[in-house]
Amino acid sequence: MMRLLSILLAAAALTALALPSFAQAPAPAAAPGTVVRFTGQLLDVRNGYVYFTTGDAFKLAPAPKLADYDTGGPTKLQPRAKVFARAVVDPATKQVVELDLTTRRLPPDVAYAQVQQYAATGATTVRAPEIVGQNITGREVAVEFVVTVPPTTPLNAEVYISTDYSNWDPRAIKMDRIDGQRYRAVRRLASGTKFAFRVTRGSWNATELGQNGLQPTPHPYFTKEVDAQSVPVTVYAWSDDRASAPQAAQPGAIPTPFNPNPFPPGGLYPPSRATPPGGFPTPRPGQPNKPPR
Amino acid sequence: MRFPVLIALAAMLVASATARAVASPPTSLDVSASGVDFFYNRFIVTADGNVRVRLSDGTIVSGQTFTMDLKLNRYLVAGDVHLDGPKVHERGAAFAGYPDLDRSYFLPAEGAPERWTYYGLDWSDKHPGREQPGDAFYFPDLTGERPYIYAAGARIVPKTNVLFDQPRVYTAGAYLPLPRYVVTFSANSHFYENGFAGARADVALPFNGSEHSLTALHVRNDQFNGTYLAIDQHFVWPNDWIVASIDPLTQEQRQYNLIGYKRFSPKFEARAFLQESAASPGLINRPINAAGFTEIQLNAGLSRSGLSFTQDNYWQQLLGYRPGANDTVLTANYDPRWREHPSNATLAWTGFENRIFKFAPLLFRLRSGIGNAHDVYGEGGYPNLQPGPRELWYHYTGATLYTAPVRLKNNFSLTASFDKQRTWYSEPHQVDVADTRFSLARVFERQHVNAFVAYETRTTGDYWGAQQLAAYPPGNPNPACTVSGGDVCATPFGFIGGQNAFRGFAISRGATGSVVYTPTAYFGLNLTLAHFTDFPAPVPGLYGQPPWQFTGDLRMRLSKQLLVDVTRQYYFNFANERWTPQLGVQFSP
Repeated sequence: MMRLLSILLAAAALTALALPSFAQAPAPAAAPGTVVRFTGQLLDVRNGYVYFTTGDAFKLAPAPKLADYDTGGPTKLQPRAKVFARAVVDPATKQVVELDLTTRRLPPDVAYAQVQQYAATGATTVRAPEIVGQNITGREVAVEFVVTVPPTTPLNAEVYISTDYSNWDPRAIKMDRIDGQRYRAVRRLASGTKFAFRVTRGSWNATELGQNGLQPTPHPYFTKEVDAQSVPVTVYAWSDDRASAPQAAQPGAIPTPFNPNPFPPGGLYPPSRATPPGGFPTPRPGQPNKPPR
Repeated sequence: MRFPVLIALAAMLVASATARAVASPPTSLDVSASGVDFFYNRFIVTADGNVRVRLSDGTIVSGQTFTMDLKLNRYLVAGDVHLDGPKVHERGAAFAGYPDLDRSYFLPAEGAPERWTYYGLDWSDKHPGREQPGDAFYFPDLTGERPYIYAAGARIVPKTNVLFDQPRVYTAGAYLPLPRYVVTFSANSHFYENGFAGARADVALPFNGSEHSLTALHVRNDQFNGTYLAIDQHFVWPNDWIVASIDPLTQEQRQYNLIGYKRFSPKFEARAFLQESAASPGLINRPINAAGFTEIQLNAGLSRSGLSFTQDNYWQQLLGYRPGANDTVLTANYDPRWREHPSNATLAWTGFENRIFKFAPLLFRLRSGIGNAHDVYGEGGYPNLQPGPRELWYHYTGATLYTAPVRLKNNFSLTASFDKQRTWYSEPHQVDVADTRFSLARVFERQHVNAFVAYETRTTGDYWGAQQLAAYPPGNPNPACTVSGGDVCATPFGFIGGQNAFRGFAISRGATGSVVYTPTAYFGLNLTLAHFTDFPAPVPGLYGQPPWQFTGDLRMRLSKQLLVDVTRQYYFNFANERWTPQLGVQFSP
């Protein structure tokens, strides 16, 4: 009894092992006398082959029929790059006997994998390790950018994200303040989206700085193949924030917060030389602008 | 014995020759065709009809159609493709270039169909049968897209810019013909550093560019100069940049700006800003007056801190003085103060963020600095109309103590911060500035609402000790007030009372409440109301802020490429205005 059971189990295991190889068997060939159709976008027709954007080439029959994709009638279109086509393949000869052409974009053909067996292109035999990556579907992902700002950032300050995709517009993505230290912006981005960004307060005069006060390199961003993604960023200082740096006083002025010189006229300091009563009548050259950044 | 050595040398030569042949990817592509189109929304260049692409090594790829995704940095030539160069002459159906992978993929059309892969610009070895990207020969779907530029040709510098030849650029509903136009798409933000002062409107016409440069003419408008032309020149490298500009170019009063930035190492950078303001009638004439300003800034990263040195220099008159100019005599053409070269230098140290307790979210940062302001004539700077000290030293120290957002029950979170800085001046007084802030926020997840309230007090004290009443005597609110010597400050916006009691100590208390409603990623509404109680009473244009402020911000995505942002702000009954609406509308991708 045990021996019978062992034999049955071994047979079952062998069957299970064999099943995957059954699944990997080549796609069933079309029945004799039938043709196979598929659609795709053309790269070229040359040297007796028609090339599709998949990179596959199919042998053309000696006198293939060219027809209009919609009517099936004659067409003035010539098979050339960018034109879409429905190809009719004779499985017996593995040749394309008909091309139905259109300039209208056709959806990707899900049945294409089944006709690749008729392609004339030599098989790829060498792996290319430089072609790596993950399967990116381009699905929409809710992405939350959360920027933590210095605690001294004014409560009514506006904070933005500037990206290379917006040509570094310093006001590209406006953020909402959600508490005393954080701003947030939510966007829906396709998975695989990749860009670089910096945080600003609306101009290149007011951009984020690192903890050591140096200008950081832009943050790299990539949308993953997930349902939702959060991108936290910490800003330690602003380039225009002189409160945490010395007060940039005008030369000679007593830098009080309210009044450049709080003393009443004739107060602490003697007047400068040659200052006539009522001040200087001649206009001076323009006051220099603050340096832009 | 010598034979193996010779073999080894020969092998090294062959290896080095191969290494040379496997060159870096093309640094430019010159594209000519019957028509070249550029789709700004997609950063895609296409060309059709007699396409000829010249790679930087001189190899020419010709075909029926060309397309390049500038952001993905890959291109495709398809249809009757000819690949011609000193070492290659091939015909094929398509050629795809992937500079980032340092690979080119080719579908030859002579003999049996194959897939070839070239490494870099080495056309001597075609590597047949090698795996290729699945979408190497795909055309992008541009259905429904409108070209932003039609051109006769383009010079593409990968990852940087495209220079279009004889373009017609889509502007305000029409295609504007221009001799040249450059589209910069570089991820290097230094190309966008600005050398201009603010303006109401600025339309840039970039007309020349390369891998490291960009030249642009600007049509600008501001309230002082009207409409005028300006020009800027950028030189850009990965870590350094220079911008030179003349703004305005076509007005009498011009500013010549030169800004440079260099990162010497990851922990040391320098920035310089040089500006000359000059009045010269006509396009090329001797200036009738000129002033200069420079700012030098050096930043260094230290161990868990940073050090910054900044020096500002002013030159009131760069032109030569007339013979016999007398410092004691003021004339229309000579002001003795023009001999002055005021300067202001500061050295600042800023510490990193530190945690007080290992597991408590309580943090602090320290800072300190020293500075000197020099002004021989002691005239005081604008808008000071009175004399000040000729030499002023100051030093300061400050700290910020704050919490990271503390999560509470029911989706509440709390933040708190306290910041204080004291600055001592060689003139015996000191200024204390302090800021205390609390905020309580809550997330209403089901309603897609974020709300917070915050309370803040800011105090500023100017301490003169025994001279306090001399510094801030009653009835002397500010020299800029048109009525001085009383309790009221007269401004163009009205009469502001409550100034008489001010003795140099100010406080501002503010409460802010905000609600952010974001039901979808395509819609956002932000309402913020703030109330401030200031002492002394705020004076429009001088100090303080409107007591009541309300801001509404509505964002809606109208289409795949267009997002509209409408902001409106109200300052209730401030500055003699019952309402002061500031409506802002911004369209962005």
